[in-house]
Amino acid sequence: MMRRAYAVNILGAALLALLFGCSSAPQTPSVPPKHPEDLPAGRVDCLECHKDVSTGALKPYANFRHSVVFIKSHGTYARQGQNLCSSCHKPEFCQTCHAGKEELKPSTKMGDRPDRMAPHRGDYLTTHRIDGRLDPGSCYRCHGNKSDSRCKQCHK
Amino acid sequence: MGRPTTVIPLGKRLLPAVVAIALLLPLPFAGTAPAADLSLSSKTYGLSYEREMPGGQKDRYAPLYEYLSADAANLGGKPLSFHFYGWGRVDLDTDSGSGNTSGEVGSLYLEYLHPEGNAQAKLGRFFLTEGAAMETIDGAFVKTTTPVGLGVSLYGGVPVEYSILNNASTGDSLYGGRVFFVRTGFVEIGASYLKENGWFQEEKDRELVGGDLWLRVAPPVELTAQAAYNRSVSEMASQRYAVRIVPGATFDISAGYESYTYKGLFQSALNPAFVSPSVDKNDKVQTIFGIMDWAFVPGWTLEVAGKNIRHDKSDPGDANRGEIGLRYSYNDKKDVAGLSAAFVAADMEKNEYQEYRGFATYSPAKLRLALDALTQQYKKEINGKKNAYQVVASAGYQVLASLQLSGNLTYTQSPNFQEDWAGLIRVNYDFAMSTGGKK
Repeated sequence: MMRRAYAVNILGAALLALLFGCSSAPQTPSVPPKHPEDLPAGRVDCLECHKDVSTGALKPYANFRHSVVFIKSHGTYARQGQNLCSSCHKPEFCQTCHAGKEELKPSTKMGDRPDRMAPHRGDYLTTHRIDGRLDPGSCYRCHGNKSDSRCKQCHK
Repeated sequence: MGRPTTVIPLGKRLLPAVVAIALLLPLPFAGTAPAADLSLSSKTYGLSYEREMPGGQKDRYAPLYEYLSADAANLGGKPLSFHFYGWGRVDLDTDSGSGNTSGEVGSLYLEYLHPEGNAQAKLGRFFLTEGAAMETIDGAFVKTTTPVGLGVSLYGGVPVEYSILNNASTGDSLYGGRVFFVRTGFVEIGASYLKENGWFQEEKDRELVGGDLWLRVAPPVELTAQAAYNRSVSEMASQRYAVRIVPGATFDISAGYESYTYKGLFQSALNPAFVSPSVDKNDKVQTIFGIMDWAFVPGWTLEVAGKNIRHDKSDPGDANRGEIGLRYSYNDKKDVAGLSAAFVAADMEKNEYQEYRGFATYSPAKLRLALDALTQQYKKEINGKKNAYQVVASAGYQVLASLQLSGNLTYTQSPNFQEDWAGLIRVNYDFAMSTGGKK
């Protein structure tokens, strides 16, 4: 009964929020759901075309330059909204790493793209013992509750 | 830890309905209005490898994977889009996982994005990052920002999780939201709440209260912060604070502090690697980090990173990790070559290693070649070895604008594998079309 009440409350609040949002949204245009032009190969640099503030993230485009600094801290920005990301990246892009019970390592799938930052290159089965001891929180984000049954061969 | 109930929760009973609704909703729009931007992506991977395990046993594997992604935007000329992503595997030789088949639906949802103000809604299965939440759920999500900058987001549904922890099942339902204030180009500050009903460690639900901040203190300088407190175990789960300076298009530097407690962060773990006895739940990690990216000459980029990791417990103890890399992009940015090195110095010898990597790609016309070599040297022997090597050679050909064939050959020698040869054939097919409306 409690859970049914929760579900009803959530649904009601969601509908209210949606109605509220649709009726009172500011007049700034949303970021388009799809980037209007095909992007060139290689790391993206928004600053090549955009100079100001993104209407999707409401932050300067300079913050989304895909440098190693941004890539290693992209979660900080994604937790405040995904609109700008999803304008260029389809769901499969995020879920190549943030997967459910994924079996193929990103670096295996993208073996023809050594330029891409992909976790677990090489025989990570060996190295993960060290990285896992020193910084298990970095493992947990993807493997804490979205795991491959093959983990269980050793982690019983 | 045990789970006594066998009652199927409401959320899980609703799951088939949610998936069916998300799947069927696009059909009326497709039928009544032809306008839509459609794209389909298929990635097929055929792997073949033989592994000689310590002791001489040899196993052969030949899994075949298909990854499918389909997206339809501008449905019926409206700001509606539909997204699907999923994969499946069938083994043509020895079982490479649990059983000879596997797969999952990663995403399956309908999205509405209001043309103004970024109001949005999602329904179905999707990956969500919002405040304290980083989840995949079967459910709904709505978000809106008012003209004065105050905003709210709400979500609820069934978490998509997989448990490999004995006697522990996934959460029954998950809901939460975030309230925030944003001033364009200057600040965004938010407070969030997440509740996952389940039977996690200490036989409790998961309940997080989070905060996040992005503040531009000067044009090139920003401060970011995010923190989550786990109310279920009355423990700070994680914190991250950073300052980042981006003075232009060629230089980017960041430094900061982050920490997490095992008790707070791993409380809802469904993987035995994150629960006792694999880890000491009273441990805490504190890290000071710095990262720099400097395109010092057009085409050339220097990347440097370092972090100091401190544990409350003497085992595993503390460590310092340093990384340096140099990248060179050429051929109109289509190709990249790079060299990198990483060093880990730690209190315990078993945690120390060095890593060196070199890679290059070459793409003349429709051909694409790539070579990637990586080696690790461990301070202390693992399975009687101190070194690991891997070389990946790749060749591909763009048959059509939408069709690319490629293959990898990988050789690995490591403490886990005496010799490991792996072959991979890759077929990428990308199709896009517009049936009307704007492109």
